[in-house]
Amino acid sequence: MGFEEYIAAREFLGTIGQPVITYILIISLFQGIFSILYLIKKNSRYYDYLIKCLYISTGLYLTGFLMLAWFHVQIYDTVLIEYPAALRQMIPVENSRIAAPLWIESEKLYFWAMCASIFAMTVTKRKDIMSFLGVILSIFSVVVYFFSNPFKDPLPIVNGEITQWYALLLSSDMRIFEIAGTLYGRITFYYNSTYMWTHPPMLFIAYASLIITFAACVYMLFKKDRLYDEIAYSYAKIGYILLTTGMLIGYPWAVEAWKDSAWWWDPKISGSIMMWVLYSAYLHSRIYVSKGKMWKTTAYLGIICFVSLIFTYLLTYIVPGIHSVVQP
Amino acid sequence: MKLKNYDFYLIILTTLILFAIGAVSLYGITYYNYLAVDSRWTMTAQYSQYIDEMNSYLYPFLVLLLISLGLCIPKRLFEQDILIKFSAAILGITVMITVFSGLEKGLGFILAIMTVVQAIVLILTIRKSKSIRFEKEGYIARMGSSLLHFGFVIIILNFVSFRDSPFHLLIFWIGVVLITVGNVFSFYPEKMALMWPRE
Repeated sequence: MGFEEYIAAREFLGTIGQPVITYILIISLFQGIFSILYLIKKNSRYYDYLIKCLYISTGLYLTGFLMLAWFHVQIYDTVLIEYPAALRQMIPVENSRIAAPLWIESEKLYFWAMCASIFAMTVTKRKDIMSFLGVILSIFSVVVYFFSNPFKDPLPIVNGEITQWYALLLSSDMRIFEIAGTLYGRITFYYNSTYMWTHPPMLFIAYASLIITFAACVYMLFKKDRLYDEIAYSYAKIGYILLTTGMLIGYPWAVEAWKDSAWWWDPKISGSIMMWVLYSAYLHSRIYVSKGKMWKTTAYLGIICFVSLIFTYLLTYIVPGIHSVVQP
Repeated sequence: MKLKNYDFYLIILTTLILFAIGAVSLYGITYYNYLAVDSRWTMTAQYSQYIDEMNSYLYPFLVLLLISLGLCIPKRLFEQDILIKFSAAILGITVMITVFSGLEKGLGFILAIMTVVQAIVLILTIRKSKSIRFEKEGYIARMGSSLLHFGFVIIILNFVSFRDSPFHLLIFWIGVVLITVGNVFSFYPEKMALMWPRE
């Protein structure tokens, strides 16, 4: 087992995964069309098609996820980082394997979209909310396909690190000591970290649940029906528990992995605090949702919360910082 | 003396304070982006200034949030007028400590007071004391609310006063457990009651 097997697995993932994500895109586009048709014409036939599309696209998302899981197992099995003897005096291990989580790089948006599809399947009895969600999920799939396709160039950063490691091994380049040290840090504090396996998925599942809160708040604003508040609240509860605990779990991870690095008041952390306090404000305001015009305030807050959620997610790509992929 | 719609206005106040903290965070994002002109800026003194500045914007709202928590929770122990006087006294002392000893000391004081108050509320809730009154009904929901608020105060106290303590992470994890259990109990009291023989 080695580099060749890893490369073969990566190529195989692209070969079998690309058709799956293409079908997800096509089915999701149909799902979006049927959603819009149902919203306009209120014909149950369109709704039935929409639900069928939702089930198929969710099934495809899960299939793709299993393929990604297989690829991650292959990375673990085939890639062995054996640290040079000189470095072993400074680090506590002789070698490492990469247990990369399934929500890094281009896979995170895929994971979020898959969770959102699964959550959407729990509101199929609410035709109005479901059809609105159908449009959102359709847009989601388009964004995943064109901007965050995990099968097009699987895990480009992990791949770059693995490829560089094996290239240095072959060429006996002295930079191998520096790269080995960097890889040890990346594997220990990032890929294989328990926090990496808990903090991001909790947040992405929370985000998926909060999409339904957003959809219900939009409907509450237009339909002025208390029932939508109940739906919004029931999903906000799941989202808020995961959001709060997930965010808190990030703190000891930051202390352990970043130590003296500059991470406090980093834009992503500021954004997460903003999102959390806004969801806390939403949950407080809804205690008096039946009093006067509070339902309106609550609905607006639910929408603002979701805008802040999207904004916080995008911060990684638009503002520099320790969490970001862009640098000044 | 009873103020009409006291709880409602308290919720509005809390919502506004939370919104203000959100606005401070948004300002922080914009300001960071403005300051980050090169990748090494976080190694300069400007970054420390930025952190201090952001903390100084956040702390007043944190004090207000804690006051609103104080106005919310001890009402179960005291009548409204005593409660308002109690909160005003705490705020006054906090302001005085802040003026003479700095913002962190002032915040540390109010956090210590609130931790004691929340701990008393939690103990009384667990013992089903009749001296506390809740808006929420049911033992589990009340427990959830008490655990959540207690955990929240512990987490902030830990950040403000125990950052360099060897027990910092231990206290943090205790806070996380309290908040998580508090959230679950508050949101799903009926389901939790099924697992709780005392209900």
